[in-house]
Amino acid sequence: MTNDDRFQDLYRKYYKRMVRFYVLSFRVTEEDAEELTQDAFFRFLEAMDEYRGDAEWAYLETIARNVAYNRIRSQKTAKRGAETVDIHDRNAIPEPAAPPEPDYAQREEDALRSKRLRDAIAGLPTGSRECIQLWLNEFTYDEIAKFLKITVDAVKSRLRDAKKILRAKLGDANALPEVEE
Amino acid sequence: MTTKSELSAANRDLITENRLTMGEPPTAEEVLAYTRGELAPDEEARIRERLIAYPDLVRTLTTPFPEGADPDHPDYLSDHEFARHWKALQKRRRSDGGLQFWRAFGAVAAAVAVVLGGLLWRAEMRLKQPVAVSQPQDLYPDGQRGIGTQQNTLTTNGDSYFLVPSLGSDLAVDKLRAEIARVADPSRTLWSSKAMLRTPDGSLVIVVPREFLKPGTYRLVVYGITGERQEPLSSYTLRVPSR
Repeated sequence: MTNDDRFQDLYRKYYKRMVRFYVLSFRVTEEDAEELTQDAFFRFLEAMDEYRGDAEWAYLETIARNVAYNRIRSQKTAKRGAETVDIHDRNAIPEPAAPPEPDYAQREEDALRSKRLRDAIAGLPTGSRECIQLWLNEFTYDEIAKFLKITVDAVKSRLRDAKKILRAKLGDANALPEVEE
Repeated sequence: MTTKSELSAANRDLITENRLTMGEPPTAEEVLAYTRGELAPDEEARIRERLIAYPDLVRTLTTPFPEGADPDHPDYLSDHEFARHWKALQKRRRSDGGLQFWRAFGAVAAAVAVVLGGLLWRAEMRLKQPVAVSQPQDLYPDGQRGIGTQQNTLTTNGDSYFLVPSLGSDLAVDKLRAEIARVADPSRTLWSSKAMLRTPDGSLVIVVPREFLKPGTYRLVVYGITGERQEPLSSYTLRVPSR
């Protein structure tokens, strides 16, 4: 099987599923997902001759993740641009007014509570904190385990510890009830 | 009761605060090294901490990657679909190839420009540098009584020879000119000066760039110019030693 044949086989097998992978995982449009997929295959094709690994699909996965990572990273690091509007432009659409804010006392109370919660999370032991932060960002146990390179059981154990410490710190015995995912 | 959503909101604020102190997210290379376990424990912890501040980036690493579709599955590209996407990929490849050519061309052009710029700068700097001239060296003419055929051995520490030929004080000429040729090939002038006036103290000063005179024996001839007439006044044998 020539390189071209192998590439075309992978291309046929993975194209649609990679597009879906980008759409569902990274919330990009179908058009963007197709562009990312083509980009990943293009890079894979360029590097295929030099690749000496065993499984080409694993290499394709690395490249596909890399393409997504770079796309999202560039969005995160892009400087925020502000729209400039000519002061004399009568057609410029003003930004909608901010919604009415809660009164001062309420805002103060909310800010204090938020700080208390932030401090409680930040004060957790590193392993437990990393687990709970990922869990609060809706990562599954499997995903947390994969990222932290630990077992799923270890993730569950660390999460239990984290919740226990948080309850004690917040003086709230009913906080974060244990619900198996 | 503290809810998960309340803690999630606090966590988002905490992450936003952390980003300010952590700086930019890790590069793709750092993340690849992290996933492959190639980092030292301290570095691994640092990368992990920075990634946790960017959950979207963590997702690119943890989201399960799909398996390839079997040929009889609808997800497997049909011939028609394959032809369409393949064409787009080839087009992209060609345009990238063209782009790479121009990038390479641009890189070569930039390199040449840098080299030429460097040479130009060096040449300019050399021109701006003061020219080192060694101490003046008196030259004795050939056939002078008591000296005979003594050669004048030239020495210099600078870029030029600073020569002061000995001339009579009663010369009735308007201007002076000097020429240097090899003793072995007197017909071929290696260096010649413009017509010069004598200095107020009556001497003649000649500055000869060092590069004109390789090691060897030369003859310097000083001419006197009166009106349109020019005649040799005296000659000097010069020896340039090997450096």
